[in-house]
Amino acid sequence: MLPIRRITLSALAFSALLAGPNAFAVATKTDALAAPAPVTAVPAKPKPASTSTADHGKFKELQKNFKTGPEVTEACLICHNEAAKQVQHTKHWTWESVDPKTGQKRGKKNIINNYCTSPVSNEKDCMACHAGYGWKDSSFDFTVEKNVDCLVCHDTTATYRKLPGDAGHPVYKRTEFPKGSGKFVEAVDLRKVAQSIGKPSRTNCGACHFFGGGANGAKHGDLSSSLQHPDRYLDVHMDEKGLNFTCATCHSTSSHQISGSRYNVAAAVKGPAHVRGKEDTVNPASCQSCHGDKPHPLARLNEHTDKIACQACHIPEYARDAIGTERSWDWSQATVMGPDGKPTVRKDSAGRRAFDSKKGAWVWESYVIPDYRWFNGASKFQVIGDKIDPGKTVLINEVGGGPNDPDSRIWPTNVHRGKQPYDKVNLTLTLQHTGGEDDTALWHNYDWQKAITAGMKAGGLPYSGQYGFVNTEQTWPITHMVAPKGDALTCAQCHSVNGRLKEIKGIYMPGRGDNNKLLDAAGWIVALLTLLGVIAHGAGRIYLSNRKG
Amino acid sequence: MLKVIGGFFAGVVVVGLLAYNYMGSLMFREVVSPFGEEETVARIQQNIQNVGNGWALSGLRNPGKAVEAAGGNTLPVMMIEACSTKYSGPILKDDTVRFLSILMPCKVAVYKKNDGKTYIGLMNAGLMGKMFGPMVGEIMGHVAQDQAKFILFDPSKPAPEMIKGMPGAPSGGSGASAPGGC
Repeated sequence: MLPIRRITLSALAFSALLAGPNAFAVATKTDALAAPAPVTAVPAKPKPASTSTADHGKFKELQKNFKTGPEVTEACLICHNEAAKQVQHTKHWTWESVDPKTGQKRGKKNIINNYCTSPVSNEKDCMACHAGYGWKDSSFDFTVEKNVDCLVCHDTTATYRKLPGDAGHPVYKRTEFPKGSGKFVEAVDLRKVAQSIGKPSRTNCGACHFFGGGANGAKHGDLSSSLQHPDRYLDVHMDEKGLNFTCATCHSTSSHQISGSRYNVAAAVKGPAHVRGKEDTVNPASCQSCHGDKPHPLARLNEHTDKIACQACHIPEYARDAIGTERSWDWSQATVMGPDGKPTVRKDSAGRRAFDSKKGAWVWESYVIPDYRWFNGASKFQVIGDKIDPGKTVLINEVGGGPNDPDSRIWPTNVHRGKQPYDKVNLTLTLQHTGGEDDTALWHNYDWQKAITAGMKAGGLPYSGQYGFVNTEQTWPITHMVAPKGDALTCAQCHSVNGRLKEIKGIYMPGRGDNNKLLDAAGWIVALLTLLGVIAHGAGRIYLSNRKG
Repeated sequence: MLKVIGGFFAGVVVVGLLAYNYMGSLMFREVVSPFGEEETVARIQQNIQNVGNGWALSGLRNPGKAVEAAGGNTLPVMMIEACSTKYSGPILKDDTVRFLSILMPCKVAVYKKNDGKTYIGLMNAGLMGKMFGPMVGEIMGHVAQDQAKFILFDPSKPAPEMIKGMPGAPSGGSGASAPGGC
């Protein structure tokens, strides 16, 4: 205690010299009371760099030169001994989602989408975005805890990289990527990453969710790397200089179960905002969980909330940046070579991928006006093996809901069009083996027949040997890139002849011009009669008062 | 006689009202583009470079960016700027019409509307030119002919790359050293 006391007194004396006689008086008084060392005089300690109560760099379990990802997980599980079990019950691990109403199994593992189609037979590549290690084929054991990848979500160094082809393992040695590009990805320093873990940031979530569909912004339209450092205009909640929400601010998590999913959307949340401490079952990843279902000062606007999703007005356009989003993917153009007979690539006017002999042709767009649809949160998906009608556009998912469904709202959606292979005899969408260096990989040998045969075999589906291409459509509800309130849609943008909601059926909308003529005529007659009544009543009052006078 | 004078003045008033009502649409044209915004810009830029008569690109502006910087949304607007010294030179040399430099460089606006379509906005150079005497009228007539070629598209040709930084004006916009000379 003595040395500290001496330092304190010296500091006090020095402070007094600086501050003058009054300060000295205070110091003398404090000292006279024989109190513990005055708080004001203790040199301020530097603030901790992290808000975490544990510095993982000091844990002996993490002072190792880890060779592999699973070795790191084993170290994590020494303390966090329930974490892997929790993760193994999430979609990030199973790549499966069960429809609570129908029991239909959806999720990446079970559907064929109209982007990269399916991970089946392409696991080595696709699992770069799996929260696990080693899923390279159907033999993957989903119960092995050390195969859970903690770092992909908890790395704070932004150096943790997983590349296609490694079945979900991080980069263990310096690797040229893409092959032949002359660009190299450095080996991950697993020790450093393990010691630097923290809460998931935009970087962690965005590493996969910003790049879904194989390119920045391609898949969702309302998610791209532009949300890494957004301004207020792009996202009023994530605005880096404003509210600065991370993904997890809304997608709050319990036992590693992350709230909010495009498979089960909270489409029509009712009631007031969530109150801290009060138990409720409202999905925290919904607007209403913070704003309630009557958020506007104008009652007239609040009357809309039982039919219109918040997102419909407050996300006036999506992909609001130069990155844009992919509007269509035409797989029938894959294997088409350049004029010299060799594989070729082409970019669009904005520098985005437009054609690749490996993958086909794409159309991109920025500042996309959404397609508006009734949606009750449930989607029925086309799953692997389902029959299709090639004469019609195949709906990869049918969004549920309608004007008479109290759980439906009018939602903004991103409709992605595709043209993808199907079995002409069995009438199913096909699985195709695309990634890899083997002889059956489409991106290696440019041979559809071999690729589909290998893909269907891996998925355990019959294949007739005859394939064609069918038009498909996949619908995503839009919920990110919320604009400032001043930029919400104005009344006239919907209530006009060619307004945003011109395709929405089943509701009466003033100003749209397609209303029931009889109803409109009746309305006008009632209004006219009311006016006549008012005039007659007024005239009568004037007449009577004149007679009396 | 009174009827004739009355009829004349009535005619003047009607013509005046009609002119007032349609002036805006006469001075400017708006056409729907068959392409997306970036591709429309890129194809117009390519056409400008190929049309000859001294035309050169001098800038590409996005007025919407300023609105975004202030924290507001606007659908994208791209302003392609181009100039031809062959046409601008005589006007800039003549003190009586030098004020028309305010119309330089020639601009083509490409923008999106709420219907999701991409539009092209142009000034009706031919009509405007006629208001400022024969010399300007003739020059602007040529400009109008070239302008029509700016928006002639050949969909069979692949989309060119959008030119963002102009040669001589690396930051975009009508740089002082832009080769268009305007």
